[in-house]
Amino acid sequence: MQASSEPPVVLKAAVHVAVILCLATALVHVLLVFLQVAPPNPLSRQYSRQVNAWVFPLFEQNWRLFAPDPESVNRQISARTMHTAPDGTVHVSGWFDLGAVDTAAVKHDPFPSHTSQNMLRRAWTSYLETHGGDDRPRSQRALMIQQYLGNIAVDRVAAHRTGAFESIQLRVITLPIAAPPAASGHSPGAAAPRPTDTRYLPWWKVARHATS
Amino acid sequence: MQQAEQTSAPATTPSRPGHGAERGSARTPQRMPDRIGTLLTLLLERPISLYAAAVLRIGYGFLYLAFLLREFPHRNEIWGPGSPWTPTLARQLFDQTGWVSILTLSDSRAYFEVCYAAALVTSALFMLGWRTRAVSVLFAVVVTSFHARAIYMTDGGDTLILLMVLYLVVTACGRRWSLDARRTRLRASAVKTDRLPLDQASGELRRHLRDARLTVITVLHNCGMLVIAAQVCFLYGSAGLYKVQGAAWGNGTALHYALNLDVFQPWPELSAMADEHDVLIAIACYLTVLLQVAFPFVLFGRLKYPVLTMLLGMHLGIALFLGLPLFSGAMIVADAAFLPDRFYRYLGQLWRLTTQRDVPRHHPPQHLGHQPLPPTRALPVPRGR
Repeated sequence: MQASSEPPVVLKAAVHVAVILCLATALVHVLLVFLQVAPPNPLSRQYSRQVNAWVFPLFEQNWRLFAPDPESVNRQISARTMHTAPDGTVHVSGWFDLGAVDTAAVKHDPFPSHTSQNMLRRAWTSYLETHGGDDRPRSQRALMIQQYLGNIAVDRVAAHRTGAFESIQLRVITLPIAAPPAASGHSPGAAAPRPTDTRYLPWWKVARHATS
Repeated sequence: MQQAEQTSAPATTPSRPGHGAERGSARTPQRMPDRIGTLLTLLLERPISLYAAAVLRIGYGFLYLAFLLREFPHRNEIWGPGSPWTPTLARQLFDQTGWVSILTLSDSRAYFEVCYAAALVTSALFMLGWRTRAVSVLFAVVVTSFHARAIYMTDGGDTLILLMVLYLVVTACGRRWSLDARRTRLRASAVKTDRLPLDQASGELRRHLRDARLTVITVLHNCGMLVIAAQVCFLYGSAGLYKVQGAAWGNGTALHYALNLDVFQPWPELSAMADEHDVLIAIACYLTVLLQVAFPFVLFGRLKYPVLTMLLGMHLGIALFLGLPLFSGAMIVADAAFLPDRFYRYLGQLWRLTTQRDVPRHHPPQHLGHQPLPPTRALPVPRGR
């Protein structure tokens, strides 16, 4: 091969610009992702606008995996329905355990579905985040989550029971997981089993009528 | 990652003046510019960890394919128009958050089925490394769309897969163990003699353009791999540091609670059995936190191999006990990015040897050139000098 000549100046400059852009983008990206992952601090507060503009939505992340503490409760979420017959009599159904469907599906399945592990669980935690202690939706998002939770309940009840209904109510029983025997032996205060908590949500009109 | 590249460098980059300085570490301050120069050459001219990038491609392509197939019976419930998270709700949320998805473009079931089928095909092609750059962009669109559509059904594993798939777009993840690599190899051996030299001037320009393109591709790849490494470090670092703040991790009972969560109990008998060993549980708790916090700091030494091995054990445990194989798989693939190329070349050799021994008839010799041999084969980027 013959001796090579120098590449054209324009090309060289373009390559340099590209290289610098790549490096700068990578560095800035790493820095901004760090600021999003880290707990709020003066730096991330000062640059929160830039951080959010860059990171959201694609690079949003949260690695609190079973942290700071894993959930120490199981939740039994049940639903019952109300049907008003043409003659005006109101019929309220018994409770249907929505979560039991999930537990049964997960049991003895080496690769459980997201519908069993994440759907109801995350819908309820999102409901708690957006509604807090009472059931009054304070934001657009809270309304959306409420509708989502209602839809899940309606779909599941309709899939397992026959009969029309116009409203649905959810009941959430929080069952604390007992502390391990050894741990409770050391600290008598923790030994007392925490009480189970039952929360009744208001009746919701069924927006999306599901039939089985 | 970087370490792997440096140790394998002498075999592939013969006698570069700055190289000795880098390996012999700065003995005198004057060597510093030399070292920076070498690092820059490395960054501009040598794509790092090509095998690890291929492993990420194969791993995430496979995981997503497995995920889509696993959810086949639930596809409409998760991503389709029949989901309790209705298309209207999804679109409403997109307006607030800026997410986008091809899945909400139409509410028709047929359109969704076409998207689902396309997602299956894209995942498979990405895993195989067919026209990798173009397919990687498609795959990123697919994963983003499916993730965004079912955002309230995702967990940490899905988030990790999405991030990695986005980063893989800029990497040269199709250079090894791919259909692209196979085609390149076949073409190189077939057309070597046919190619006629171009006339002087246009040949020069084309060569410069090709060199410039290669440099940009290499830098993109290297930046992508470094961002992936940083991302995994952030993941482990923050997961570990958040755990340090939790009382249950501190008193060694966290895994007791994790083992007793209803939806993370595919084998209740097994969970109950493990739960009885409180001392082992406490040790596993401490080890988990220690490994996660230590992860970013052990990457640059030999300690990374025992740590990666223990993390593999931890993730296999999570997959089995908590029923989270997708999450665990995503983490294992991410960890695999930190193994050096020479490890993967060794694996390739092993694989060639076993296939040679087991089924010699089915693999004619030219087929066996699949994995390049480390000492003889030159690096992927033939650079005109």
